[in-house]
Amino acid sequence: MTSKLISLSEAARRFAWDGMQYASGAALPVGSDAVIFGRELLRQKRKDLHAIFHCNSQQLNLLAAAGAVTKAECGFSALEVFGFANGLRRAVESGQLALEDYSNLSMALRFLGGALNWPFVPATVNIGSDLQHRSAFAPDEYPARSKIPAVVDPFTGREYGALKPLRPDLAAIHVTLADPAGNAIILGTEWSRTELSRAAKKVVLIADSIVDPGCIRQFPNLVRIPDIIVEAVVHWPFAAWPQGSPGMYDIDESHMSFMNKALATEEGTAAYLRDFVEGFDDHDSFLDLIGRDKAKALSQGSSSFLLDPYRRWILTPEDVAGLAASELAA
Amino acid sequence: MSAALDYSRQEMMAIATGREIRDGELAIFGVGLSMLAGFFAQANHAPNLRSMTEGGVYGAAPVGGLPWGIECNRISSNATSFTSALDALGFLVASGRCDVGVIGAAQVDKYGNVNTTGIWDGEIGPHYRPPKTRLPGAGGANDIACGAKRYIIMVTHEPKRFAEKVTYVSSPGYLDGGDSRARHHFVGGGPSAIITTLGILRPEPGTNEFVLDGWFAFSGIEEIKANTGWNLKVSPDARLIPEPTAEELANLRKVDQTGALRKK
Repeated sequence: MTSKLISLSEAARRFAWDGMQYASGAALPVGSDAVIFGRELLRQKRKDLHAIFHCNSQQLNLLAAAGAVTKAECGFSALEVFGFANGLRRAVESGQLALEDYSNLSMALRFLGGALNWPFVPATVNIGSDLQHRSAFAPDEYPARSKIPAVVDPFTGREYGALKPLRPDLAAIHVTLADPAGNAIILGTEWSRTELSRAAKKVVLIADSIVDPGCIRQFPNLVRIPDIIVEAVVHWPFAAWPQGSPGMYDIDESHMSFMNKALATEEGTAAYLRDFVEGFDDHDSFLDLIGRDKAKALSQGSSSFLLDPYRRWILTPEDVAGLAASELAA
Repeated sequence: MSAALDYSRQEMMAIATGREIRDGELAIFGVGLSMLAGFFAQANHAPNLRSMTEGGVYGAAPVGGLPWGIECNRISSNATSFTSALDALGFLVASGRCDVGVIGAAQVDKYGNVNTTGIWDGEIGPHYRPPKTRLPGAGGANDIACGAKRYIIMVTHEPKRFAEKVTYVSSPGYLDGGDSRARHHFVGGGPSAIITTLGILRPEPGTNEFVLDGWFAFSGIEEIKANTGWNLKVSPDARLIPEPTAEELANLRKVDQTGALRKK
């Protein structure tokens, strides 16, 4: 089996560029998302991104606050009970970022359409509302013609909408477990990671843990993203931090609030970038940033039993480092 | 307010919303207050409620307090199925199978249209411009508004939130009133109630304009009219809504462990 394990920085260098259509998650706002990949994109000074996020997360909040995103498409643009996403909000209100609004179902349908190479997806939702009539990408069109144009059902003659399929250049997808080849098991809701992984032109997995391939052979029904569509695998425990990863770690409530408060201002964002984007050199120093005791406490949440069936296959950091090294040599 | 029971306006709103949900129904809840109202119904009078979140979390009840999100570990610790948005909002809501949904609103109008997208100074105008204040967007509420057989809008009752016409329709109610919703062939029937911190509004048959159907023990017709941004009509059947029973309040507080609704 060929290992696709590469480092976080190498993955961002190899697969990201300025101006690209970048998709992540496709997580919900406080759950599994490859937040660490957004930090790395900023470390590498990526800019002018067209962000495609099923829902906003702290990753998009951070990328927008830092001025790295000029266009975004979302179904939901806040942080659930943590409130408005201050960084994204600031970028939208200032006009620096054009945010095109959809709903949570229509984003999933657009990934599905991209995955199936459909010319359009018939919409029975979003029609008749300003999601259909207003376009931030084509502000002079009213009612908008290029966003969710009307289409006639050839069977009934009724009018519905046509959703534009999505085919992002890259999807950085957070998963709970992956083997070195890129077979992934997700604990918790998939949200739209199955569709996104098939819609994106390239997929990089960001995994909390790497498992022995034996785990994949034991639970093939649970593999939602198979290795044959994956370019690379990055091993990064606490990749979703401060968000939660069911079975792995809880939401870091205090950092969720702290981060969102920081992103509300330019000064706060600059300090956040200094401390939590530039402020670590490797995974060890990243864990120091979270706090070792806190990381341990977060790992012992009410959902940690979900991980029990898989624990025996989880590879140690030393094993994973060895696999990554052999890939480099090859 | 009864001498025996002390409760907040938000708790009354959640209990009144929960009373709308019937045992055995297939129901979808968003995060926050709507989830509390839904799980209150399940704990109180609807033990066989088939509940889901739009994240595709089925059969779960919150553990350790109000979940931070519909995918949070607090709603992932006793689920019977984890699926996806396409499954929950698509196969089970857009299909027309879902009986009832609960959504929130930043602004709602007399035909039950909901704005959760933004606040503009004045009308948006023909050229789209960014809102003065950006709000969370449609999320799954638009999908519930289009697909659920009926849905309930939960909203704090303030004049700024109750507009003659919302600035931006994020989730469709009865659009321009009457049968204007019909031209979009939605499988869902539209909003059945707007339940607020002051009372209950329901659509008037025919016009689909929301009219006052009931007030709470601590509110009244005049206060509700004064806090509504359109000339609110009062239904001939309008009445005082019964206060929470001790059992209802106890069941709500079992679900609302962290007291999110108890603040006055």
